[in-house]
Amino acid sequence: MVLERIVDKVIDTDFLVVGGAIGGSAAAAKAAEHGLKVTLAEKAKTDRSGTSGQGIDHYGGAFPRGMTVKEWKEFLEKMGAGVCYGGGPYMNQTRLYRQYANGFWGIEEMEKLGVTMRWDDGDLRPIKNFFGPAPFTRVHWYDCKPQMAAGVRKRGVNVLERTMVVDLLTNNGAVVGATAIDTRTGEFIVIRAKAVVVATGMFGRLYGQSVKYYFIMHPCPAAVSGDGWAMAYRAGAELANLEQSRVRGGMVHDLTMSHGNIRNEGIAVRMRTWDGDEVPSISRETEALFVDLERKGKAPFYYDFGNLPDDFHKRIEVCYVDERMIGFKVAEDRGFNPRTHWYETMQRKPTVLHAHPGIEADENFQSTVKGLFAIGDCSSGSHDVANAATSGFLVGDSIESFIKETAEPVIDEAQVESQKETALAPLSVKDGTESKELEQAVQNICMYYIASHRSEGMLLEGLRRLGSLKKVFIPQLKAKNPHELMRCLEVRNIMDVAEAHMQVCLERKETHGSHYRLDYPEPDPSQDDLRTYQRLENGQPVLEMRKVKPLEYPDDHKEER
Amino acid sequence: MAKETAAEHYEERFEFPLWKLIKQRAEEKDISYLQAAREMLPEYQKGIRYRDDEFESAEIDKREKELAELAERKQEEINKSGGLRWY
Repeated sequence: MVLERIVDKVIDTDFLVVGGAIGGSAAAAKAAEHGLKVTLAEKAKTDRSGTSGQGIDHYGGAFPRGMTVKEWKEFLEKMGAGVCYGGGPYMNQTRLYRQYANGFWGIEEMEKLGVTMRWDDGDLRPIKNFFGPAPFTRVHWYDCKPQMAAGVRKRGVNVLERTMVVDLLTNNGAVVGATAIDTRTGEFIVIRAKAVVVATGMFGRLYGQSVKYYFIMHPCPAAVSGDGWAMAYRAGAELANLEQSRVRGGMVHDLTMSHGNIRNEGIAVRMRTWDGDEVPSISRETEALFVDLERKGKAPFYYDFGNLPDDFHKRIEVCYVDERMIGFKVAEDRGFNPRTHWYETMQRKPTVLHAHPGIEADENFQSTVKGLFAIGDCSSGSHDVANAATSGFLVGDSIESFIKETAEPVIDEAQVESQKETALAPLSVKDGTESKELEQAVQNICMYYIASHRSEGMLLEGLRRLGSLKKVFIPQLKAKNPHELMRCLEVRNIMDVAEAHMQVCLERKETHGSHYRLDYPEPDPSQDDLRTYQRLENGQPVLEMRKVKPLEYPDDHKEER
Repeated sequence: MAKETAAEHYEERFEFPLWKLIKQRAEEKDISYLQAAREMLPEYQKGIRYRDDEFESAEIDKREKELAELAERKQEEINKSGGLRWY
């Protein structure tokens, strides 16, 4: 059998990057600078793809340089330990340190790539973050994606726009490439690669409130479907901390204002109950208070901007431009005036899986499957744009040595045929189910059975219902064209990750972090420093609980570029 | 009663000053809103006290102090009522 007879196109590359947002673009550009043959597959269009597609108004980190490991640890402790940066105590500690130590280098690399980092006076503009201990840098990033995309193309990366990677190809336990579909022409493609990095961001389409597909929030509509997590999981890689879905207060899901817009100038905004009582800002520490207030009939909760000085109102307007300018129009259409109106918050509903959950990766960002790397929100702990960029640059900068030591990849043609058959099946279904319908059903299950509070009975029933949906409706998914086929493949990914999420939530029989069990309301001290790691073995989920890998650098080590 | 973004406010037609400038520039030069924003932003920012550290710190500190006092007050109320639990 010859590969070219099975598929429409075969691409040979050294390094395949899956996802063309912040992390993926950084990794691709940096690897190409080393003279590698790099291919980047982006499901949407790199100019405006990912959660940063409509711009970003902050870059999560203003990093003092020259710290030793010891000083860094003291700094973290002073700033609030663990939660300070990325996945904190939930991730490989050496990877956490490397991201931190190279944070400023990440800013410099972004500038080299052509991204605007500095303020109008030529300086960076660090902001003290009143919501958390980590400072960040205010940026005018309304054009960050087109700037990055231009930098990537300039470095000779082979960019496959509107190309969805379907699944990873493996051989002898290592990743050797991937299959993909051109979502415009329908071409089925094999990409043979010595190393693959997945950079498809967080997972945000399993809870109703966080639906981003319908343009309710600001990411590109093709984003946050958990593609990278799902393909890594199916290839045998571990997913970590899946029970830690994020519960937080945010803006109610319309486009009137981006949640970040009101907080990224560093001033605390008043929060009120529906009848006017002022309450503290919602955070991990005050969540229990909001539960109590809800029970007392004090919900919904609102932001009240009325007390802000005029100068800060103007600053918020600039934030609108930097991140999701469409918010102006929606606010205007609704007659929303932040000087006089209150804005309802999302209260304490589950939003997305990110920060702690993701693909488990070592200090070199390699997953538990050889040749497969994970960066940014796609990995466990490399959260937010600063970590996405820095982790991407770090992988791109070091992947050359891995590639040089790796033999030519050999593709298993039977695996390609199997993936092709599964992927293209919806095109042959005539009277079936639309992807949106199935996605909505999955979200309803997740909201009802697993959202904020979990118990054994609810999780078992949720899993049974999800399994039933998979069995009956995945084979019935229909697609009239390659674009709809992409949506069908997204739903398959969403269902795979949602199922793994529920399985881990069922197995962790305690309340821990943002995992709340009604039937086990107290934390189990014996599990305090244990994290969850789930993988597939012969199609069956295998869960391990173990400690994170500790920091391996000596106290006087400084890693900077 | 909370003044949320209900229908009664539709008639108010509030315009963000910066958005108004962007729309005007876009119309005048027949360019996109994004292009207009690129042109308008530097001028608009001159009227904002971004590098006035004294002003900025004073405002932020004032709010932080208010928040800290509020948090202390709420904690006292919670303690009096026997503490909080998830359920």
